[in-house]
Amino acid sequence: MSSMLALRVVTYLVVGDGIAALYLAGLIGPLGVALVVAAILVSWALERARERGALRPAVAWGLVGTAAAAIAADLFYLAQSVLDGLVHLLLFLILVRLFMHRVLRDLRDAGFLSFFLLIAASSVTFSAGFLVVFVVFLVLVTWMLMLHHVVAEAQKAGHASPEAAGTHFGFRSPLMRVSLVAAAGTFAIAGSLFFVIPRVGQAALPFRGQLGRMVSGFSDKVELGAFGEIETDRTVVMRVYFSDETADPQSLPNLRWRGIVFDRFNGTTWTAGQSRRILLRPETTGKFHVSVAQGRRPLVRQEIFLEPIGTDIVFAAPRILRMELRGGTLSFDDMGSVSVPSAAARLHYAVDSELETPPPADVRVAGAGSGFSAGERVRYLQLPAMSPGIPRLARDVTAGSRDPYEAALKLTYYLSSRYKYTLGLKRQTQLEPLDEFLFVRRSGNCEYFAASLAVMLRSLGTPARVVGGFQRGEWNPYGRYFMVRLADAHSWVEAYFDGLGWVTLDPSPRAEAEAQAALPGVMSLYLDAARMRWYRYVVNWSLTDQLLVAASVQRQAGDFHVSLYWPRDWRARPWLLAAAAAAAGLALAWLIWRSGLPGRASRPSAPVPRFYERALRLLARRGLAPAPAETARQFCGRVGSAAPALAAPLGRLTGEYERARFGAAALTPAELGEVERWLVALEQS
Amino acid sequence: MVVALGVAAINTGNNLLYLLVSLVLGLIVVSGVLSEQTMRGLRLTGAVPEEIYAGRPALFGAGIANGKRWLTSYSVTLELLAPEARADTAAGAGQARFLYLPRLEAGADRLVTWEETLPRRGRHRLAGVRITTRFPFALFLKAGRPALDSEVIVYPAVKPVSSALLREIVGSGDAPTRRRGRGSDLYNLRGYRPGDDPRLIHWRSSAKTQTLTIRELEAETTEDTRIVLTGAASGDSALLEVGLSEAASVAVHLLRAGSGVELVGPDITVPLGRGRGQIRRMLTALALYQPGAGPVEAPEAEDVGDGDPRREGRALRELRIRIG
Repeated sequence: MSSMLALRVVTYLVVGDGIAALYLAGLIGPLGVALVVAAILVSWALERARERGALRPAVAWGLVGTAAAAIAADLFYLAQSVLDGLVHLLLFLILVRLFMHRVLRDLRDAGFLSFFLLIAASSVTFSAGFLVVFVVFLVLVTWMLMLHHVVAEAQKAGHASPEAAGTHFGFRSPLMRVSLVAAAGTFAIAGSLFFVIPRVGQAALPFRGQLGRMVSGFSDKVELGAFGEIETDRTVVMRVYFSDETADPQSLPNLRWRGIVFDRFNGTTWTAGQSRRILLRPETTGKFHVSVAQGRRPLVRQEIFLEPIGTDIVFAAPRILRMELRGGTLSFDDMGSVSVPSAAARLHYAVDSELETPPPADVRVAGAGSGFSAGERVRYLQLPAMSPGIPRLARDVTAGSRDPYEAALKLTYYLSSRYKYTLGLKRQTQLEPLDEFLFVRRSGNCEYFAASLAVMLRSLGTPARVVGGFQRGEWNPYGRYFMVRLADAHSWVEAYFDGLGWVTLDPSPRAEAEAQAALPGVMSLYLDAARMRWYRYVVNWSLTDQLLVAASVQRQAGDFHVSLYWPRDWRARPWLLAAAAAAAGLALAWLIWRSGLPGRASRPSAPVPRFYERALRLLARRGLAPAPAETARQFCGRVGSAAPALAAPLGRLTGEYERARFGAAALTPAELGEVERWLVALEQS
Repeated sequence: MVVALGVAAINTGNNLLYLLVSLVLGLIVVSGVLSEQTMRGLRLTGAVPEEIYAGRPALFGAGIANGKRWLTSYSVTLELLAPEARADTAAGAGQARFLYLPRLEAGADRLVTWEETLPRRGRHRLAGVRITTRFPFALFLKAGRPALDSEVIVYPAVKPVSSALLREIVGSGDAPTRRRGRGSDLYNLRGYRPGDDPRLIHWRSSAKTQTLTIRELEAETTEDTRIVLTGAASGDSALLEVGLSEAASVAVHLLRAGSGVELVGPDITVPLGRGRGQIRRMLTALALYQPGAGPVEAPEAEDVGDGDPRREGRALRELRIRIG
């Protein structure tokens, strides 16, 4: 393959990589990709016609003008956003370059414009696929720039191509290997620079954020059964790291990720109707102080990466004490639900939580919510109009209970043991949803269990509320984090007991139902761990991370300095001496190799023999001296033509000089005597 | 672009933009490293022709050697720098020319030649050549030190001597004397000396005597000539150049034929001599001749050959050439 053809192929591949980036970012759909690729293929097919000059510039520029007008209309009126319009404009410019290219620069420009496609994609995507696009682009663009350079230089020097200058630069040429090495070097340098460049910026001019799909179940108004449609979705939406202080996160009991809390129920829909939201501002340390630790429970620190699921709710292990989150403010309601001002593209935050520990089963409480104000009692005991069967069932189940807490445990056990967990939520009767669940279907998802428990507790006078969030998810041993899927969306109940406060009760027998579910494969765990590292160390790399790494390097440098002291027990460790000797030997061998081995061609020649130096001195007195670039023979010839009488003795001396200096031959005593005679003749003639 | 991209990265706080900024910076660094690697170990040596005649293309050369042990140098360009004074040349226009070497393997060398025509006689400083490279991405130009930027003497244009002038030369002067020269007849046999032309070895005699014997040839033209430049020389410069060119042509013709030649004129004297050394002296004197700039005197010839007319007191044949 010729250099020119290789350049065209690589340029088209670079453009293709840019289009892949757009597709990855959702800036162009499958139909758009198909259209653009078709246009590119047509452009490739028209190459011959272009070479023959069959494409009339006037017609082509007419088409370009029409398309430019369409692009302008798209930019100002049709496109969803300015970014979409700019992307369309970029694609148009690239296609113009590919269709109309007549000089080498047009191909290079098409490649450069593809870089802007990557820039556009980088503003709206955080997908790990971007890394693949990035690496492919790096490899291709390195090769494209090199090929463009050598072809351009050859043309500048008057050759049609490097082949015309006698060198093949297509695929599989040595230059391609150089380009791969250059790409690897660029990747290493770019990687180092990426981690080192200070992240001093603030998102003052953010581009369009990617909201992701809207997920039902995490808004302030949720119908019963809303989770049903998402509990079959295996998409990972949240990843939770624990700090190193938490030795074994898997062993933490009752771990779940609390999100939104509902206090009002109308029979079919839960709402957070009466919550009062408080705006939180960060402290001077940049942390948001949410609540005060009670001091009796374990403290854990989590680092959470939440995918965009269309909710402003922040999920974390209850109870949240402090939070760190890039951005201005947080809002916090009186039920402990934390939210951000707007649903951003992706949330990365760290949370300090004080984990809940369930009270012992035999604990006794004096009452439930007896200290509540009248308003609070109305709020947390509110019940919709419902059939008398539900309160009756609650009383029957809790008959004989000594206190509200024991009654709550009985109800929880009753629901989890007598009812079946299922995602098949098809209505079978015209009854109210809870009546159908409790008395007819006797199966449902977590929302039905939670709503039933909350309603029955309220019917018994125990304040209760429903919480929406996620259960703990799967532990990824390769990345050491919890992998929470959309299917892990969960509902449970918090009930208030005097002396215990709000206590979590989960009546859903979900764990048993999911025990038989297939575990994720090793490969999917590996891939997710890789994806997690991409999010953790690239997408969310921050100034805090840089400071932590700098501190770590400083600490390790100090440790290394200490270890540099000569070990006192070196006699007891002979391998240390052997390693040092081997290192010294290698260094010596390298020095010898660097300076050149004896007998190599680069060895300097032997010094000038003394007899020849003497002959040169004799000739210098006559005004004859060798020129700087003149060889001994040339000098001899010049002397011979200038002074023929000197030719014979100098000729002999020159011959002996060449033998002695370059022939590595030692002169015999007889030859030395001969040399002496020729020197005398040189002096006297 | 890097700055704009950096500003965008800072403003948006988008790490993927930082990644793209790092990519561009990485490409710049790699470009610098590779171009440095390309230039390292390259040696440039110039080759200037011994004789350069005005208006006649002269073959210049440059040797480029890659002294590296392992690494190939890619995309090396030999740039023939444009002299400022080139504007007056036919090739003119003060534009640099480029000779491209796509690759030069480790330890390899390449001789690159090109023709250059210097229009006027006299001293000229060569514009020089240098090695440059924009490898690998054409982002930066890296150049080595120039070579071939020395001063050269351009001899007057030497043309074939007209037949009329030849008749004038042959038809004057004393009776010929037999002498050594570069003709075709045998003059003498003698022992070989270093520097002798191997083609003149007389093999039969060498075989007989068991020592290398060389043929000496007889000069074809055996009369000595004094070229006299006449005229004011400060008037018509075109006439001056034509006259000097004619004098150089005649002198070279006679000297190559084995004759002795002397040059005299206003502010110029080259004593009688013959052989290649005399050609060089004669042409140098004519090349540097500037009317009214003081006398130009070439060094006296050390070897005027056999039958020196100065020693023999013989009169020289005179040839007058007008230069003004």
